[in-house]
Amino acid sequence: MRESTIMKIHYGTALAAVALVAVHILMRLTQGFAESLEYESVIANYRFVPYAIMLELILVLLSIHGFNGLRVILLEIRQGRTYEKAVSYGCFAAMIGLIAYGSRTIIMTNMGMI
Amino acid sequence: MTRDENKEGIRGMANPGRYGIERVAYWLMRLSGLGLLAYFVAHIYETSNILRGKVGWDELLEMTQTMEGHILLTIVIAMCVFHTVNGIRVMLGHGGVGVGRPARPDYPYKSASQNYRHKIGIYSAILLAAVAMMYGLAVMFGE
Repeated sequence: MRESTIMKIHYGTALAAVALVAVHILMRLTQGFAESLEYESVIANYRFVPYAIMLELILVLLSIHGFNGLRVILLEIRQGRTYEKAVSYGCFAAMIGLIAYGSRTIIMTNMGMI
Repeated sequence: MTRDENKEGIRGMANPGRYGIERVAYWLMRLSGLGLLAYFVAHIYETSNILRGKVGWDELLEMTQTMEGHILLTIVIAMCVFHTVNGIRVMLGHGGVGVGRPARPDYPYKSASQNYRHKIGIYSAILLAAVAMMYGLAVMFGE
């Protein structure tokens, strides 16, 4: 993929994530901070389907943005065909791993598989 | 001087004193990005404890809802706000907003893009991060 396209994705995911993370944080402040972290409250959040979809979107957007950012930083430090390929594939694999692990939590909690 | 002698390597690139606030912003952007990625990965792991049931979740809260945990979260808030505001400034700059008109490079070769608009953007990002940090402290310790 062209770097210009990757940067557009990087900026797009950043803007979308800012909006969704703002909603995620505001949800913590609708109740008291400590109250919102109580088990029953967190479970209720996960079971509310629109909120669970929003969490999944945040997970995907931030994983793409975060690991692409890490890739950019690592490519700034050193260059070389093998190194660049290793960094790109490594970051992609880490991104997929994190999305899979986070999705597992969201899906299992949403479906009551606890 | 040979080319090798002139090469300062990563230390030369890292020197925040040489290129003003823009280089400081460059480093803060990267450090806050790495910090936020580390927090994000830890947060995904942390929230997966909900699968251990109420006991597991309460054990986790006991570990994170402490003075140290709140201080760490305050630093995360500051990193998040700085990264967001400075990121918007960088995006606008890449889009050509606020970088000045292109002109013939004449002595003393002042870069048009490193102007007061972007400097204000960087200082605003730092100021907003500090304000958000204070607000975060008030929410977490004000209970």
